[in-house]
Amino acid sequence: MELITKYEPDVERIERFSFVARFAHWSHTITFVILLLTGLLLFMDSRWDFLAVVFGGYRGAGLIHRIMAVIFTVVPLVCVVLNWRGFVEWWKDVFSFGKNDIKFLLKFPLEFMGFHVDIPPQTKFNGGEKMNSVVTTTSCILVAISGYIMWFPSIFPPTLVRLAYPTHDIFMIIATMMVCMHGYLGSLHPGSGESFWGMVKGTVKADWAEHHHKAWYDKQREQQG
Amino acid sequence: MAKMGNLYDATKCTACRGCQVACKNWNQLPAVIEPFKGNYQTHESTNANTFTIVKFFEYDDVYGPKWYFCKHQCMHCEYPACVDVCPRKALYKNEWGAVLKDYQKCVGCQYCVYACPFEIPKYHKESDMVTKCTLCAERVEAGGIPACAKTCPTGALQFGERQELLAIARERVKYLRANGFPNATIYGEHELGGLNKLYILGDVPEKYGLPSEPKVSSITTFWQNIVQPWFGLLIPLALAGSAASFFTTRFLKARREQQEGGATHGTHN
Ligand code: HEM
Ligand code: SF4
Ligand code: SF4
Repeated sequence: MELITKYEPDVERIERFSFVARFAHWSHTITFVILLLTGLLLFMDSRWDFLAVVFGGYRGAGLIHRIMAVIFTVVPLVCVVLNWRGFVEWWKDVFSFGKNDIKFLLKFPLEFMGFHVDIPPQTKFNGGEKMNSVVTTTSCILVAISGYIMWFPSIFPPTLVRLAYPTHDIFMIIATMMVCMHGYLGSLHPGSGESFWGMVKGTVKADWAEHHHKAWYDKQREQQG
Repeated sequence: MAKMGNLYDATKCTACRGCQVACKNWNQLPAVIEPFKGNYQTHESTNANTFTIVKFFEYDDVYGPKWYFCKHQCMHCEYPACVDVCPRKALYKNEWGAVLKDYQKCVGCQYCVYACPFEIPKYHKESDMVTKCTLCAERVEAGGIPACAKTCPTGALQFGERQELLAIARERVKYLRANGFPNATIYGEHELGGLNKLYILGDVPEKYGLPSEPKVSSITTFWQNIVQPWFGLLIPLALAGSAASFFTTRFLKARREQQEGGATHGTHN
């Protein structure tokens, strides 16, 4: 039983993600996980207290949470500037949500469990990836905004501070939920294994692209002439 | 042990602020000097180095100006919101009613500051912790009474068992109502399920800067009672879904391959 689809360098591959996009993705992943672990210490009850030593106690965890928070906010912003064209392409595609994306979302639960379903041609990002893009990005922005309010409460109105606490928790949970599914789908799920290499090496197998993202694949081909 | 607390009689207070000084002295808190705001009140509200303050209120009525004084500090609530939100369980309620804090545990998150309906706990920047009145628990446990009550020269502050203090307060309010204070009232008997700091007021609570119906913000209650205990379950749910898929995908694929006589379906993986 293989865990992740094997990387095949010798077959025809096409570019999917630039270096900056991949850097943004993985740095965001790492800071997200560290933020999650250091934050969860406070969210969970005292049975989990023993985990605090990993981060140098609760004060250490609080400090790491804040340092990571800054990286978590600044790096994506810098990457957006550096890779503006890729960023625009991403969001243009996300907002071109159409009939085929809805069909994808309806059929996806079966595909998720491993059944064979016929999915209509998808653009660079399929319906699920589009949804993940919107939900995760929105959650991260709200978690960041509420986080800064919790960090510097004295400069905000008290009601806003009170609102920041449940906001931070709710969107932390939604984002984490999406990240769990997304992480699994992008690596261990056999149907999308190749997309893992798209984010690691930057390229995917051409026949995989044709199969999973027909509309995108055709356009790439066209552009290549 | 019976609940113990302070009874503060606003109609006996002369705003000498001996209690403020005694509190600073016992807790070894430095002076905090705030700019003059046009009245005799020393500070805007409690602050990280000032656990209690006497507030001043001026009102005009037919007989001329009226001057109300009211001592503000932690109320040592029976159901303290600050204790509920503290993620480190640094705040706790002791057996005789004081709401105390283990400074070793505090991480300075300030959740308590925004949960308290009386806006009492305050952030102390230098130590990155939150401070407030302790009802002088160490003094009480050594057989003494709180520094503020000990120092009060007019008898406006008394320390004792809550039940006994309530009996005194009822008598006093009856007397006040009959003698020119028709709005006189007890404060702290029922508010928020009971406070361990009781007040005798000569007029409605608002006129002393006290909310007549103190309430923990509904946002805070929503956060504590709904978000914290329940929303988190979505994470294990997502993990369980992924784990289930991990096995079903592989099981279904193996079965398909068997049916197709071992011929792998190339591009589909
Ligand atoms: C810009 C980003 C962020 C900022 C500025 C920020 C800031 C904060 C602050 C100030 C606290 C208060 C706790 C303390 O004093 O240590 C906190 C708590 C927390 N944070 Fe963040 N954070 C950010 C991002 C995140 C992310 C991405 C996650 C998880 C995915 C997260 C999860 C948590 C959790 C679970 C808590 C505990 C909440 C509770 O006690 O219920 N944070 N955060
Ligand atoms: S008055 Fe505020 S700080 Fe004091 S016990 Fe009540 S909620 Fe806590
Ligand atoms: S600031 Fe300290 S006492 Fe207040 S809620 Fe946070 S950990 Fe608890």
